[in-house]
Amino acid sequence: MRGADYVIKRGIFAVVTIFVAITINFFLFRVLPGTAVTDLSRVPHASPQLQHALTVEFGLDKPKWEQYVIYLKNLLHGNMGISFTYQQPVTQLLIQDLKNTIPMVTVGTVAAIVVGIITGVLSAWRRGSIADHTSTNAAIFFYAFPTQWLGLMLLIIFAGTLPAGGMSNPFLFGAEPFWQHLADIGQHMILPAATLMLTAYGSYTLIVRSSMLETFGEDYVLTARAKGLPARQVVRRHAFRNAMLPLVTLVALDLGYIVGGAVLIEVIFSWPGIGLAMYDAIGQRDYPMLQGGFLILTISVIFLNFAADLLYFRLDPRISE
Amino acid sequence: MSLLEVSGLHVWFEPPSAAEVHAVQGVDFALDEGERFGLVGESGCGKTTTILALMGLLPPNSYVAGEVRLGGQNILAGGEDSVRAYRWKDIAMVFQGAMNALNPVKKVGWQIAEPMAFHGIAQGAAARKRAGELLEMVGIPAASGERYPHEFSGGMRQRAAIAMALACEPKILLADEPTTALDVMVQAQILELLTRLCADLGLALILVTHDLPVVAQVCERAAVMYAGEIVEAGATEALYHSPRHPYTRLLFAATPDLYGRDAMISIPGAPPRLDTTAAGCPFRPRCDVPLARCADDHPELRLVEPGHQAACHRNELVGAL
Amino acid sequence: MTLPLQDPLLSAEGKGQPSRRTGFFRSVLRERKSAVIGLAIIIFFVVLAIIAPYIAPYSVTTPSCAVYAPPSLQHWLGCDDGGFDMVSLLMVGGRISMIVGFAATLVAMVIGGGVGILSGYFGGWIDVSLMRVTDYLLVIPDLVFMMVIADLWGASLFHVIMVIGILEWTSTARIIRAQVMSVRERAYVKRARGMGSGNFRIVWRHIMPQVGPLLIANTVLTIAIAIYLETALAFLGLEDPTAVTWGTILENAFQRTAISSGAWWAIVPAGFAIAAVIVGCFLFGQAVEDALNPRLRVAHLAIRPWRLRPLVGRGPGAI
Repeated sequence: MRGADYVIKRGIFAVVTIFVAITINFFLFRVLPGTAVTDLSRVPHASPQLQHALTVEFGLDKPKWEQYVIYLKNLLHGNMGISFTYQQPVTQLLIQDLKNTIPMVTVGTVAAIVVGIITGVLSAWRRGSIADHTSTNAAIFFYAFPTQWLGLMLLIIFAGTLPAGGMSNPFLFGAEPFWQHLADIGQHMILPAATLMLTAYGSYTLIVRSSMLETFGEDYVLTARAKGLPARQVVRRHAFRNAMLPLVTLVALDLGYIVGGAVLIEVIFSWPGIGLAMYDAIGQRDYPMLQGGFLILTISVIFLNFAADLLYFRLDPRISE
Repeated sequence: MSLLEVSGLHVWFEPPSAAEVHAVQGVDFALDEGERFGLVGESGCGKTTTILALMGLLPPNSYVAGEVRLGGQNILAGGEDSVRAYRWKDIAMVFQGAMNALNPVKKVGWQIAEPMAFHGIAQGAAARKRAGELLEMVGIPAASGERYPHEFSGGMRQRAAIAMALACEPKILLADEPTTALDVMVQAQILELLTRLCADLGLALILVTHDLPVVAQVCERAAVMYAGEIVEAGATEALYHSPRHPYTRLLFAATPDLYGRDAMISIPGAPPRLDTTAAGCPFRPRCDVPLARCADDHPELRLVEPGHQAACHRNELVGAL
Repeated sequence: MTLPLQDPLLSAEGKGQPSRRTGFFRSVLRERKSAVIGLAIIIFFVVLAIIAPYIAPYSVTTPSCAVYAPPSLQHWLGCDDGGFDMVSLLMVGGRISMIVGFAATLVAMVIGGGVGILSGYFGGWIDVSLMRVTDYLLVIPDLVFMMVIADLWGASLFHVIMVIGILEWTSTARIIRAQVMSVRERAYVKRARGMGSGNFRIVWRHIMPQVGPLLIANTVLTIAIAIYLETALAFLGLEDPTAVTWGTILENAFQRTAISSGAWWAIVPAGFAIAAVIVGCFLFGQAVEDALNPRLRVAHLAIRPWRLRPLVGRGPGAI
């Protein structure tokens, strides 16, 4: 298979990075001084038996390197401890939160990519025109406004017409038909996803624009034109595909920024996802939740990066080792 | 009537924030069916721009004047939209540096078949089959059509580009420096291929190059360009043995002798800027035998013997150059 | 309180061959309007940051108006939830925000520069392992990582500065490493080594001047990122709540229900201020970067194709 070694190499890198993240996590929360408060067994209001069980489970009375091994073993079983606040397994809570975060972030990011591509191509096509300048400056501006400010502005403007918080109407109970639930969630998702779209799309516009302009100067574009193809078809068939490659790279690099933005957005809109969970964990000193959130988000980003590597590999036949 | 007649061709470029460049200054020539014609000159003399203009392949910030008559019709009359109808079907081009002229993310066979499908000559499987035949014709196995350009060597890419140019059976083939950036052995093969194809298919060829031996090998007639104008035109033999313009003479003399028998001659100085109009003969600053009138009297292209024109005042003197 | 304001634009100019480098910047400013606008914005805010304590109309420690008082003639942008004048808050907040931004960038430059120099100069396994580390750091999401570290460390301005600095050095490291590697092989460096110059001298005198403009572009862009991250960390409650920065202004507004109180003035101006600085940094940094990577390309495609000109007369003397 073409470039099997490339895929394997990137896969190994992803795994190693996950490992590094896990180790950093362990180091921060268990090894650094002052981690008495982060001791996983010190679940408030926990019975002595529970505390003892946790101590045994995480080997909190053993030397650090043994703790590390136990920590890894527990992770492999999906055990991230018990939340101080909720008295429940962290993993379960976070998986539920993740299920809430993913749709909102996906919708927002996809929207950002689509808007970025459309505005970028338009700007490149009408280079130098008013449309170009407007589009480019708008991209820079939305990119420059801090994510939380954009969220607050959308709240100010649309409070009253669109839901101001939460993921669903708490008065809608299970008796309602499923599609109504979906529509309700969708309505609540509009503002948070729109905020994410606005904060992320700017850099995509700029890179699509510059990448398309660069492609316009390539010889194979001249060749395509020489074949008699009208300009639109040249763009569609030849320029576009090549110009999208840097966008894939950028989106992958941008994932950290998107995740950060998602945290801020969930806080503003009280969207019950992992970002909000981490924020609450900070306020409530719920260190197992904080630790778990960091790990899950980091692993997600690493995984998505790997997926982006695969996508790039698929799009560009020149990559072969 | 000739197959192709070019009269009074002018091309201007308008670079951003700089003076207008008069790249092609009134070029006239004609091409008969099956004729192999060379266009020679230094870099920047306007030869590439001239042949690009024949197909209307000029960048947006340029202006064109003059006529390009194909079978009596001025194909430039309606601008970009009208000349597009003739591209690839009547005139096709092999570009300089086929490395970049082929789209890196599309298979070679697809790129050869593309114009066939677009112009309605062949579709789908038939087009692919024909692409394979064209590849065989230029000396590449048909199965290579399934590969990508980066998998080809430089020489193979040039051959593929030639195959691609022949896809719609044009009457005229334009070749822009087809052998630059190839090593000598491959150069010879490509030139031989071009000569053979033109003979077999009855193609007319305009070969643009700065490399004189190439013209001598392939072309029956040639024109020498300097500073956007044709300064001499005639049978290649005549240009070589009895040049009637100092530039032509110096050009042929400047070709290094492989065995180092003759001293190296170079033409001192540099070609004139094309963004200002100077009076007199453009070659005068570098000419080794200028006359007094050369300073302000611009020489016209005149017949000096049957089938041989030159633009030099010396031809009106009695005695050899 | 006087914190030394490290302005990278000023401090870099005196080193190496000044005439060549200022010549480059002058040409960038001459050719690109965006660079001028960007630089003007940056300078404006730097000056504002310096003179803020002297020109702020009201105190930011003693309240001077009613809670969420709307804009009026005495208080052009109204007041926040504590009764502090917004204009003064924005000025003083800008000062601290800029200081945090510059300081964090300085930390990032120091770390990145060190890593880049070590990596580029010594090569081999040092290079490989350092670059691996940067690769890992690149993938791990910035803000989330900072949240964890800042929370464990404690909420303070100093911690915020450090946390941003230790995670944002990777781009600097890459740039410096590339330059060091390319310059290392040049003849004059080899000659200098032959004459017995110590490694540090070689780096400082021969390599730093070459990397100047690119480093400045990178610095400016890092400042923009640092300012953004400060506001994000402040918003999440990870900064000293008593500090007055643009980030805490937004955080306060959110926490103290500015929106439901209808106090848009507690939110909108701060955002514009932050955006202005970031736009300024972005315009200038991008312009310098573009000038260093000239891409002179002919466009083969555009919406408006070439045009015909009617021939007037014939012959070369015609047009």
